[in-house]
Amino acid sequence: MFKELNPLLHSQLRLAVMSILMNVEEADFTYIKNATNSTAGNLSVQIDKLSSAGYIEVTKKFDGRKPKTTCRMTQEGQDAFAAYVEALKPYLKI
Amino acid sequence: MEEKKINEKESLAIIAEMIDRTKNRLRIGDGNMLLLWGYTSLAVTALTLSVLIITQHQASNWLWFLIWLIGGSVSARICRRRDCESSVRTYIDNITSGLWSLVGSCAILITAICLIMMLAGGRDCWVAMLVFGLLIVGIAVAIQGIIIKEKCLVAGGSVGIMCGAIVMCFAIGGISISIWWAFPLIAVSFISMLIVPGHILNHKARKQCLKN
Repeated sequence: MFKELNPLLHSQLRLAVMSILMNVEEADFTYIKNATNSTAGNLSVQIDKLSSAGYIEVTKKFDGRKPKTTCRMTQEGQDAFAAYVEALKPYLKI
Repeated sequence: MEEKKINEKESLAIIAEMIDRTKNRLRIGDGNMLLLWGYTSLAVTALTLSVLIITQHQASNWLWFLIWLIGGSVSARICRRRDCESSVRTYIDNITSGLWSLVGSCAILITAICLIMMLAGGRDCWVAMLVFGLLIVGIAVAIQGIIIKEKCLVAGGSVGIMCGAIVMCFAIGGISISIWWAFPLIAVSFISMLIVPGHILNHKARKQCLKN
């Protein structure tokens, strides 16, 4: 039985962001940008989408004079990610 | 990476790739904290014991506080800088920081107890501090080694545990602790628990960085 894959996660960059945050406690914007080889503009849009869905929590603060954006996964995000991986299994015959 | 639709196989590949990229890797300077505490403890121990031998005065034991003064102030600065530079915090970072906070709190508590006992006229109360420095720190170093999978930390920590256990058994057995064998024991412990692993970690981190 094939379940529909969560469209919010079934996209290259958003899935990459979620996979990173699933594996760490928190990561800042620059780290995610480098790890995903994405552009700042595109990443910012995708992070906003994930944040609006309640999957990640975004904290903006100042580190000295430099602004620092930190992202961490919420419980809702973890559940959504786990459900996405479960739904993925039948497609790959795992 | 762009915003585009993907198929199921690509999904799995992305997840695997991102997990691989976020694996806990050594960072340059990871061994600096061990080196700081290792060299400070060794130097202060040598200084305190030399002054004790020369002056034969128990007040020389106050020099032990230099470990806290130097180690505490410099490590606070290193931690602050690290927090500013660090762009990612893993679960292992959390465990490690919790472990050393606990060891630090225990050290403050034991120091306070020893101080109170000394002021109350207790004799040889600083042996508790010595046991702590070798046994508890040894256990913490070994645990950190198990967490980050570094054999040098596990081995070094085990040496510290062994030396701490020897000192503890002597103290409980009422055998006086002589400077002549205690200092080499302390030196061996600090070198194998902190100094050698510190250099190994820094070397590994530099090698890893060059490879990437």
